[in-house]
Amino acid sequence: MTTLVNVQDVAKNFPLTGGGNYLALNGIDLDIRKGEFISLIGHSGCGKSTLLNMIAGLDLPTVGAVLLEGETVKRPGPDKMVVFQNYSLLPWLTVRENIALAVDEVMPDLNRRDRDAVVEEHIAMVGLTHAADKPPLQLSGGMRQRVAIARALAIKPKLLLLDEPFGALDALTRGNLQEKLMQICNEHELTAVMVTHDVDEAVLLSDRIVMLSNGPGSKIGGILEVDIPRPRQRLEVVHHPSYYSLRSEIIYFLNRQKRVKQWQAKPHKVLVAHGLEKVNLDLGFIPLSACAPLAIAEAKGFFAKHGLDEVQLVRETSWRGVADGFVDQTLDAALMPSGMPTWMTAGGHDGHPLPIVTALTISRNGNEVTLARRLSEAGVHSVEDYRNWLQSHNREPHTLGIVHPASMHNLLLRYWLAASGIDPDKDVHLQALPPAQMLADLKDGSIDGYCCGEPWNLRAWRDGHGVPIAGDLDIWNGHPGKVLGVREDWALAYPNTHIALTKALLEACQFCSQPQNWPEMADLLSDRRYLGIKPELIHFSTGSKVAEGSHGPMTSSEQGEPHHLFFGAGVNRPSRSEHLWILTQLARWAEIPFPRNYVEILERICAVSAYSTAARELGLDDVSYQRGGIELFDGVPFNADDPIGYLNQLSIHQNFSVAEIPIGVPRALAV
Amino acid sequence: MTTVPSSNNSPAQWWKQNRKAILPPIFGIGGFLLFWQLSSSLGLTKLAGPLSLWSDERTRELLLYPFFDNGGLDKGLFHHSMSSLSLVAIGYSLAAVIGIAVGLNKGLNRAFDPLFQFLRMVAPLAWVPIALVMFQQNQPAAIFVIFITSIWPILINTAEGVRQIPQDYRNVALVLQMSNRRFFSKILIPSTLPYIFTGLRISIDLAWLAIIAAEIVMPGTPGIGYFIWDANQNGYVSEIVLGVIWIGAIGLILDRLMSWLQTRIANGR
Repeated sequence: MTTLVNVQDVAKNFPLTGGGNYLALNGIDLDIRKGEFISLIGHSGCGKSTLLNMIAGLDLPTVGAVLLEGETVKRPGPDKMVVFQNYSLLPWLTVRENIALAVDEVMPDLNRRDRDAVVEEHIAMVGLTHAADKPPLQLSGGMRQRVAIARALAIKPKLLLLDEPFGALDALTRGNLQEKLMQICNEHELTAVMVTHDVDEAVLLSDRIVMLSNGPGSKIGGILEVDIPRPRQRLEVVHHPSYYSLRSEIIYFLNRQKRVKQWQAKPHKVLVAHGLEKVNLDLGFIPLSACAPLAIAEAKGFFAKHGLDEVQLVRETSWRGVADGFVDQTLDAALMPSGMPTWMTAGGHDGHPLPIVTALTISRNGNEVTLARRLSEAGVHSVEDYRNWLQSHNREPHTLGIVHPASMHNLLLRYWLAASGIDPDKDVHLQALPPAQMLADLKDGSIDGYCCGEPWNLRAWRDGHGVPIAGDLDIWNGHPGKVLGVREDWALAYPNTHIALTKALLEACQFCSQPQNWPEMADLLSDRRYLGIKPELIHFSTGSKVAEGSHGPMTSSEQGEPHHLFFGAGVNRPSRSEHLWILTQLARWAEIPFPRNYVEILERICAVSAYSTAARELGLDDVSYQRGGIELFDGVPFNADDPIGYLNQLSIHQNFSVAEIPIGVPRALAV
Repeated sequence: MTTVPSSNNSPAQWWKQNRKAILPPIFGIGGFLLFWQLSSSLGLTKLAGPLSLWSDERTRELLLYPFFDNGGLDKGLFHHSMSSLSLVAIGYSLAAVIGIAVGLNKGLNRAFDPLFQFLRMVAPLAWVPIALVMFQQNQPAAIFVIFITSIWPILINTAEGVRQIPQDYRNVALVLQMSNRRFFSKILIPSTLPYIFTGLRISIDLAWLAIIAAEIVMPGTPGIGYFIWDANQNGYVSEIVLGVIWIGAIGLILDRLMSWLQTRIANGR
């Protein structure tokens, strides 16, 4: 398709009344193809209307240029007609006269009959023939906006620009108008750019969604392709598999922008005290049972005990938010899935290697694979059943939810599927979803199941939407679940703080491992700040299900065994061989190339000395010995001396590559 | 249009619905007139009471025969009013035309705005000597006083109307690439019309006030102002009272007339 509009490196400055300039937009590059529908979305004040006005020619860029069919846009004109948010109809003219005025201006050579025909055609197009002789003030908001759209279309613009066209309308009218607009755009192959703050509207109408970051100096934060086929129906698009992932992608982006804005609004000084380099920390987590040590460390004062006076627990909705928090340094440290340090260090996040170190494994186990009840009812009770079921239902899409590509859930689920002859990339589709979303998707049947941490498996089972099919105890008992992660440059800049944080959390892990504390932990985690669900749904052992006399299928061979391991022999010490296993799996599924310099990477990821110091200072030397070798349920031994040989030995894998991953020399954060 | 249920048409119903709007003014005005009459009958004031308009023979004649014309300045009230009104009509029309024209012109407005702001603070009476010097004759001077008094509200309101054209309408014109001439006739005039009419309505009141002042100070011109002046010279107190009531009545009629015109023309927004 040919390009209709080029926005080339556009920046826009507004002079401020008190002197100085406000840089609204900076470095905007965007090509709009003919026939495409583009949405601009972002928080208020991000400059999306400014960008639209510049495309319309109502405003001129300070730097760069906007080209329409190769010509610079210098002034507004009828070839790029704007539909304004507040309709901009002339109140002293009737509907017909309003449209006729535009037609008269733009096509003065038309004879009277043709002109009237054009006007009537467009009044009919938006279904307003009955109101053609009314002045706009006698019409409802939705009808007025229809007139504005008819007026815009009547002059046959090359480009239709819509500035929050449905923002002021009630939901029902908005929905009807959206369908009308879509229909008109399809029939007339219009090119359109729409500013909106409505996520669903953007997904429904657009071919591409341009997300703008916050001002000043807003940039394009991302462009999403909407692959939902046209014609679209408002009530049907929600069932398209892409719909929710697009939607959550946008919402994630907008929330991220909001978080960064809030973070920037606060003063950020490094507070030094008690011989620690920094005692005010922002500690990220996502709501899971495994976040218990963080909540306990805060509630029981372990942070303060070790000199960390101001630790702020920051709840993110997804692991991606945690990763982004490290990139833009809004987080000091975080609870992260055990695969994330290797994944980020090896450049899994946006392709930029960002060295992350971990000094503490916070939890082991606690994950489970849940399949939808409809599968269980169809006789799927084991992975073999599932494989057969996939073969017999191979025409339907089969989606399984994971929380993040670098999480243990993904790696275990893939390993489990692959070991049973199911290719996780060909036979099923794995999709990263926030845990709460998984439950909703399971309910409406758009996913087959998921692998996730508690309490989401128990909840699905309790709600009757899902059935646990395999626990991690069946896949790899004692696998690392969540770890403490910090940036390497952060760890080098604040070494004593890092140790203090490790001590506080290690002490909290010890607390969490004791069964008599579990009810207290469940109560604490049920608070809105953490999980916000009933304490009965939060469990730290597998035995409790049986104790309640339930009839759910047991997923573990040993009743009453702790579901989460928070503390104990070899539980908490970061293990190079485990992270090496993770590296092999990430490479196996082509998340990252296998690093030729894996020895260096592992050396830098595992802050064993920080752990040892912390454990020694807590008087816990006895728990720091190395665990035994790694062996999963299928019995294939992992040889840490020959990771590439191990990789080749695994039957199902992607075409992985081996490459040197440049992570630079260790450097401390400039303080 | 909604139809009124027929049961509401009975006089008793009508009275029940409207008495709250009718009774208080009747009591108020009646009370005022009674107080006035009593205070003049009891000799509290030398001002003639309202009943004297009828009991006094001169005013009764004037009331009964408003159309007589004995030539010169000895005319009925109707003729006096007409000559006043015709002066107002001329002065006011001039003010309207020039006020709107200048008000619509942004450049002119900007250039003279400080002067306008200054001139509009000058009281109508203060213009009388200047007008007499300028024109040497009573009639044109009176017209000028009306003109200069009534132009400001029109001018300033029109200019404000131009300033207040919503950016939306301007954007529509920009996007459609309207010519200046078309913008003027299709958007500027219709959009400022309500402001112009607000100005016109305020101005008609001022113009009527100014004519009385001008006529009183410039004797020899027939008109309602002269009528009062003449009565005053001759000491006919009830005639003065009659003149004042007459002026008030005409002023009220003019105001209502403009108000009606305003709602008619500026309707639909």
